[in-house]
Amino acid sequence: MKSFICLSMHIFFIICFPGPGIIAFQASESEELFFSSNQAYSQGRFQEAIDGYEQLLRSGHKYGTLYYNLGNAYFRLDQLGRAILNYERARLLMPGDADLNFNLNHARDKTHDAVSESPNLVGMTFFWLNDLSLGNLLRIFAFLNLLFWTVLLLRLFFKFELTYYASIVSLILWIIAGTSFGLKFYQLNTDNRAVILEHKVNILAGPDISDTVLFNLHAGTIVHHERSEDGWSLISLPDKKRGWVRAGAMESVVIQD
Amino acid sequence: MKRSILLLLALFQFMLFSCPARGDVSVSIRVDREKATIADSIGMVVSITGAGESDSPPVFKDMEDFHITQGGTSSRFEVINGQVNSRIDYSFLLQPKKTGTFEIGPVEIRVDGKAYRSNKTTLTVVKRSQPNGMDQGPVFLTAGLSSTEVYEEEQLIYTLKLHHQTMVSNISLDLPEAEYLTFRQLGKPVEYRSFYNGQSYNVIEIRYVLIPPKKGIYIIEPSKMEMIVTQSESRSRRGLFDDPFFSFSTGRPRTLASEPLELRVLPLPDTGKPSDFSGLVGSFNITSKLEPDRLKVGESATMTIVVNGRGNTNRIPDLKWPEPEHIKVYADEPVLEIREDAEGLSGSKTMKWALVSEKEGRYKIHPLSLSFFDTEKLQYQKIKTPFLSINVLPGKTKQIQASSGHSNGQNIKGPAKKSVKELGHDILPIHTSIQGLGKGPLISPGGIVFWFIFIGPFFIYAIAFLGLKIGKRSDTFNTTLKAKKAARKCIRRCRQDETSSIDLTLYFRNYLNERFGLSLGSMTSIEAAEILKSRGVSHNTAQEIQNILKGLEDAIYTGKGHNVCPLGEDISQLVRQVEKEIQ
Repeated sequence: MKSFICLSMHIFFIICFPGPGIIAFQASESEELFFSSNQAYSQGRFQEAIDGYEQLLRSGHKYGTLYYNLGNAYFRLDQLGRAILNYERARLLMPGDADLNFNLNHARDKTHDAVSESPNLVGMTFFWLNDLSLGNLLRIFAFLNLLFWTVLLLRLFFKFELTYYASIVSLILWIIAGTSFGLKFYQLNTDNRAVILEHKVNILAGPDISDTVLFNLHAGTIVHHERSEDGWSLISLPDKKRGWVRAGAMESVVIQD
Repeated sequence: MKRSILLLLALFQFMLFSCPARGDVSVSIRVDREKATIADSIGMVVSITGAGESDSPPVFKDMEDFHITQGGTSSRFEVINGQVNSRIDYSFLLQPKKTGTFEIGPVEIRVDGKAYRSNKTTLTVVKRSQPNGMDQGPVFLTAGLSSTEVYEEEQLIYTLKLHHQTMVSNISLDLPEAEYLTFRQLGKPVEYRSFYNGQSYNVIEIRYVLIPPKKGIYIIEPSKMEMIVTQSESRSRRGLFDDPFFSFSTGRPRTLASEPLELRVLPLPDTGKPSDFSGLVGSFNITSKLEPDRLKVGESATMTIVVNGRGNTNRIPDLKWPEPEHIKVYADEPVLEIREDAEGLSGSKTMKWALVSEKEGRYKIHPLSLSFFDTEKLQYQKIKTPFLSINVLPGKTKQIQASSGHSNGQNIKGPAKKSVKELGHDILPIHTSIQGLGKGPLISPGGIVFWFIFIGPFFIYAIAFLGLKIGKRSDTFNTTLKAKKAARKCIRRCRQDETSSIDLTLYFRNYLNERFGLSLGSMTSIEAAEILKSRGVSHNTAQEIQNILKGLEDAIYTGKGHNVCPLGEDISQLVRQVEKEIQ
């Protein structure tokens, strides 16, 4: 029985927290493409690096590192909008990466428009959500889930005071982790942020080129994409400004598969 | 008596309702003096005769050169030889803003919609002259300088004194404005009593320090002080109201001005001016201290220099330390302390250095010097620290850094920190490691592993839980089966033919043993009934069983135990009843 439990735990941790051995590239072609793109970047051939990274992303390797490198390459080509877009996408996958946060802040400093999100109550209460990816939260929740049911299982057989308190603590942690995971999942699924890609775009009062220009936005500004109609997108800003913009002038942060 | 009252009423009615002819209305103004100083307040009365009341207060024209304060209103009503006269007096206080000859009036009022104008009068306002020895009145303001001739950057004291014999309140001060001169108040105003021209005064004294930064002649304009002066007034005629209890006090606004002053500021002499002169003027001294003067290599000593004195202490320069060979010098932030007292500004500047020896030996600490212009000796002075030496003994080779923020060489910290200055802005490089680029964790929302991880433990728990429950339920089931088996067995035996009392007693005892898991070797009828009652059998049934068993016992103990007993069927029925009741 004891050896069975040990084996189960071992398998669980291998699944949840894969080591370098497991996470090695499966396909050597992708590996070669990654290294050649990195080399192109280091030699200043940024467009070539971009092509390589995007090819990897299209082939299904949607990893934070690739988005980060892609953001860097776009930044080098002075495409601030696309740089910030890819940094934001990388941040969804590896929000705690220090290099990424530094570069993203640096890129944000270069944007033209002073648009900032005001913190909400959920964000302030579950402050750790911004620093943990969905995958991280999932792993934490998985571990606490296992812990919780294990403690309950033990309590079935050993009704001690220790198992009682352990079950209470693990229940609280389980609820917190589960709520965090649920909120993060909800955030990602309702994330309608989009990044302005063009240097300067007109925001119109309606989905027609002849409509009144309400205001201008510049590359790198993050807006909220509400809906699209006939090649136009309705966007809004945190300060309640709203308007229509050509759909190609911006791109959503969350990729819709 | 009745007639007198009627007469008074008629007179009163006459006085009330008799209106003077409007053609008699006249307005006049008068001032209480024709010549006044700029510090005085002049009383002015506007009188309206022949009118009961005016439509509005008097309107002054072209009176921008005065502050006008309304003093009050009084009215007079006279009946002389049947002629009714009325007069209203409006009192005002005029405070001149400047000197000169001014025309006061005319004043315009409106009575019954018709405008009436007053006469004009003339008022001459002159500067306040204060020849020594003359009576200054009950309230006056004086100003003085501690010296009328000073050098550049030499501090002097400007003293304002308000002498008053009457009560003053609501004092506000307007200091003169002079280019390059800044008045810095020294402490709070002080109050004391003093004699002036043989008269006793209360004095309020305020002191300011001035430091003229440039040579030249400065005219310090008069300071102005506004206040309410309260003077006691008693009735001229003695009578009931001559009692001090009924004396009246009136507050009158006054503006006092001090005399203008001239200050001559001399340039600092060029002869003998040291090259390191920093503009320090006053009287200063310097002290130095080195602690410890004997230390080991790598240890630190603290050199402290304090420049202390009276004058423009903010010009004390930061002394430069020539770094001796084999000694590292770490300067601390100098601390300047400025103090105020009645004599002006004084203060000190404390400078500290940490000296860290790198090599053993005896090192001389060269003196540091400082120059200033001595206002007492009227010449430049150079003050310097004495020669000091430091004896460095061989010690640990490990170098330590020191700062001068301490006095005993312990608790050594690093040199003064500066914020890191950004020299450029750029992004950080790409990630080149393939770590994190694999297939990623198998757990993903909605995947098989996800459901296995999240549902699996629950199922394991549920299975264990159910297993335990079923296990418990199976024990009960076995017991029930066992009970039924025991009952059937007992019933079957009891129904056999030719069963004796001994047999029936034995069958029933075995039934109880098997049914309830007992191991009774013998059993009385009472014990059997008690057992059954304790297991939920009704009292009647237990009593019936007890009776039957009692009958069997009687048969056994009377020697009829082996005879055939007809109670088998009764016992069978009772066993069924017991089973029914227990279930």
